[in-house]
Amino acid sequence: MPESRKSRLTRPETLTALGILLVAAGFLIPTSELRPISALLPAAMLIGLIVLAVLLLLADQRKAAAGEEAKPVTQSPKRVVGAFLLIVSYALATDFIGFYVSTAVTIPLVAWLFGYRNPLGLLVATVIVVGTIWAIFDFGMSQDFPTGRFWGR
Amino acid sequence: MYSDLLHALPDVFALTNFAAVIIGVIAGIVVGAMPGLSATMAISVLVPFTFGLEPLVALGLMAGIYNGAMYGGAIPAVLLRIPGTPAAVATTFDGYPMAQKGEGGFALQVAVVSSAFGGIASAFALMLLAPPLSKVTLLFGPSEVFWVAVFGLASIIFLLGGNPVKGLISACFGVFVSVIGSDPIYGNDRFTFGQLEMLDGINIVILLVGLYALPPVIDLLETPLKTGGVSSSKLGTESLWKALPRMKGFWKTWLRGSFLGIWIGILPGAGGSMAAFMSYNEARRTSKNPEEWGEGEPEGVAAAEVANNADTASALIPALTLGIPGTAVAAVMLGGLLVHGLQPGPMLFRDNPDIVFGFMWQFLFGAILLIILGGSLATNSFARLLNLPRPLLGSVIIVLMLIGVYSIHGRMFDVYLMLGFGAVGWVMDRLKFPLPPVVLGLILGGFAEENLRLALRIGRGDPMVLFQNTTSLILVALTVAVIIGPSLKKRFIDSRKAD
Repeated sequence: MPESRKSRLTRPETLTALGILLVAAGFLIPTSELRPISALLPAAMLIGLIVLAVLLLLADQRKAAAGEEAKPVTQSPKRVVGAFLLIVSYALATDFIGFYVSTAVTIPLVAWLFGYRNPLGLLVATVIVVGTIWAIFDFGMSQDFPTGRFWGR
Repeated sequence: MYSDLLHALPDVFALTNFAAVIIGVIAGIVVGAMPGLSATMAISVLVPFTFGLEPLVALGLMAGIYNGAMYGGAIPAVLLRIPGTPAAVATTFDGYPMAQKGEGGFALQVAVVSSAFGGIASAFALMLLAPPLSKVTLLFGPSEVFWVAVFGLASIIFLLGGNPVKGLISACFGVFVSVIGSDPIYGNDRFTFGQLEMLDGINIVILLVGLYALPPVIDLLETPLKTGGVSSSKLGTESLWKALPRMKGFWKTWLRGSFLGIWIGILPGAGGSMAAFMSYNEARRTSKNPEEWGEGEPEGVAAAEVANNADTASALIPALTLGIPGTAVAAVMLGGLLVHGLQPGPMLFRDNPDIVFGFMWQFLFGAILLIILGGSLATNSFARLLNLPRPLLGSVIIVLMLIGVYSIHGRMFDVYLMLGFGAVGWVMDRLKFPLPPVVLGLILGGFAEENLRLALRIGRGDPMVLFQNTTSLILVALTVAVIIGPSLKKRFIDSRKAD
């Protein structure tokens, strides 16, 4: 079957191999400033990664040349990107506006956006989860959570 | 040799330690029953919460979760034909047809009793085999320890199956992560890029949560599972004690499955699903009525479940004695031990006998508790878990991940680092890069480097010091065998097929 992608270089494994190659080469530069014995293992691993990435790249390109179609990494890229962005946003929100506010918003928001649309269920779940976290960690274990850089705390 | 085992017993019965096992078993069944969640993920999320706990409380939770999740996977496998964990795939073959005939309750009871039998046998194997093995490994010097680390990495890369290039990339990545931070001997910074938070290196928990918890959460949100729901009143469950006489003919299957599960658990890289398939096939092959298998034969459920629980504790035999985990869950458990300052390996048995032997007892009691906690009443309750909405579950796990990682040092930097590892883990998972070599690389990398440098110092820089004694040479030979063994075996099979 002919390769349906526009370029053979956009195959997931090829892109991954190129990524590994670039990152490992980038990390290899600072090893020259280390003592030889300190650089031994990291340099060996980075050179190993470069060689292995080249092998992965060649194997994948050989498959492409043979007409083997690469499987997509996900069937629903929008949902995956959306999920990841929401998780990152939650971490940033926790950092900047505080843990409890972010959590109280994130639990129902993520569940709602990804298909659970029962307002009462969402309210009950949010109250139970946030309440339990407060009772166990804040009240019971005196664990401090971020209060938000935005508020200057 | 076994006196430490008995000395450790009273501590296991301390209220908090025993309660931890009970909670762990219940949590494990819950997690195992949720398709998409696994014991590996649950323990990864749990590990950071155990920082402030006594080691036996933390380890009791882990042992309970591991045992519980292996059985919990049978619940959706029987009721929905969706294995809750990869190890429960073989349970669907006869479990689901049984549920279709209105015998779902009995199928789950066979699963719980078989799981408990396998778990008990596995715990005994751990108790019997680990102590003598640890005595042998106590004699190892730096060069032997270095080769043990290399052998462990090679085993998990090459025996795991799949693409060895990807396995090697995973291991190199793990070892590279292990060297980030201050050099242990000279103290100069390596790859910290001026970040003070990275001077102490990358905490294993951050990596574990990122690699093992984030990808399943993304999966939960990516593909919402739509089922018709499960009505527990349709299970046809009767009392476990009434059901037991119907299982008396399974003893041969239980013994055979336990042996297979224990053996596969000890082998690095193999795991519960392989054990379950092998046990199922063997039981079917020796059955008087193999034609009925696949159409609701209770012995099929017994064969699969006994084996996938029999590999739980046995996977810890190489993990506790040599630092080489037999399965992904065992690799994550090694991370859990490290969190409590317990370095897996021979010293663990010498320096912390109460903890390591207590952990073994906890595995045994976890398996016994399965029968009580997973019995008829509980089975109905756990079946209802399948009706929980996955997006809500996903959002709650995200919150737990953040709390767990933040609690390690009380800083958001670790959370961002975890998200980075999570993104890497998701890509690796989708492209079928094995994850256990990353964890093992991080655990063994620093250990291997330290011992390599120590050995080289002893040998005044001469690398031949690494090959100067019989044990080292045996370990080198084993490493070479592990590397070339699978390809030789493949060639042999191919040549026989060609003939």
